[in-house]
Amino acid sequence: MTARIALLVLLLVAAVTGRLAAHHSFAAEFDATKAIRVTGTLAKVEWTNPHTYFYVDVKDESGAVVRWACESGAPGALSRRGFKRSLLKLGDTLIVDGYRAKNGANLMDARRVTLPDGQILSGASAGDGGPQ
Amino acid sequence: MSARAARVVLSMCAALVAMSVLIAQERPMQLDDTKVPKGRPVPRMANGKPDLSGYWKGTTQTRPGGNIGKDLPGWKLPLTPAGEAALKHNLTATVDPEAVCIIGGIPRHNASGLPFEVLQGNNKITFMYWYSYFRLIPFTPGLKHSDDPDPSFFGEEIGRWEGDTLVIDSIGFKEEKVWIDENANPHSDALHVVERWTRPDYNHIHVETLIEDSKFYTKPFTYSRTWALGEADEQIQEYSCSENNVDAAHLGFGPGPIRPDGTRGYVDPAPLPPPVPKR
Repeated sequence: MTARIALLVLLLVAAVTGRLAAHHSFAAEFDATKAIRVTGTLAKVEWTNPHTYFYVDVKDESGAVVRWACESGAPGALSRRGFKRSLLKLGDTLIVDGYRAKNGANLMDARRVTLPDGQILSGASAGDGGPQ
Repeated sequence: MSARAARVVLSMCAALVAMSVLIAQERPMQLDDTKVPKGRPVPRMANGKPDLSGYWKGTTQTRPGGNIGKDLPGWKLPLTPAGEAALKHNLTATVDPEAVCIIGGIPRHNASGLPFEVLQGNNKITFMYWYSYFRLIPFTPGLKHSDDPDPSFFGEEIGRWEGDTLVIDSIGFKEEKVWIDENANPHSDALHVVERWTRPDYNHIHVETLIEDSKFYTKPFTYSRTWALGEADEQIQEYSCSENNVDAAHLGFGPGPIRPDGTRGYVDPAPLPPPVPKR
């Protein structure tokens, strides 16, 4: 039930803001049936067009470190919504919620990013037809 | 609902409200046209023609966005057999050209969700787009199309004024690596586009488009759209598509599923994990 409420609220937010901007369709790259959460240490940030990427190192069950690439909107779009480059600090533990790439790579669409202080940021590439 | 479930819901809603505040700070790429002022006089150039200059944003009333068949019943395009084959090719064997930094061209840019900027001079007008693309259209009287123009993504564009309407007539388009809209519909090199641009009032720009392509479409069809004026301090920003196009290697063919409402995307995506309650 909580998940349904979350989805409803997110859809409402998307409807109210009516944002649109997209470099490609969400559905061309990501699988909307594979909602995932990745928790790891921020290792690298690429504040670039057409998408920003940040990389988090995650320990798997065997203790090995696996690096996940987290794709977000363009720098300008993130910056305008208050998601500034300076909020991402190397070494921080981030919780990233989103959808995995259709090709099975360790690449995800970072729709929601939770910082160590609990601040929640929207990393979505708005207007790509993906879940908001 | 148990007390624990209630606490989870409350904390989740608080987190979502916090996120929505952040999102609300973002200047929207689209405007709700019911809230845009109407009727303010059209600005004019020294020669009396309407000045179409401005930073123009789509409106939430444009539906389905990204679909060149927006104004057709059921969004059904009149494809020829060759057009059907071209659509199938686009869906099953091509990635979105814009996603690999190829110019979207016309009429696709007119169906885009992205704002654009217009700067008008006495003899030329330029349309500037995100992705750092632009088209520059001359409207010097007496211009005619070339006999055999080099194919291009925007085509060979010639402008002329008909009263307060700027007419842009374009031929000479590419056939490969083009989608006519975000849904991967096709066009051929036989494409002929006639755009009729007006500024109904200060805060709006409007286009009526005639699209002819006898190779891929059985008959001409039309596409119309209105955009609203952005804030005075808004403008196109730098956007280097090829700077770090990591996603190009991960894209599948086509736009993915098209919803019943004519837009691209999944109908019923899995919900994300619930937000982490703030400590």
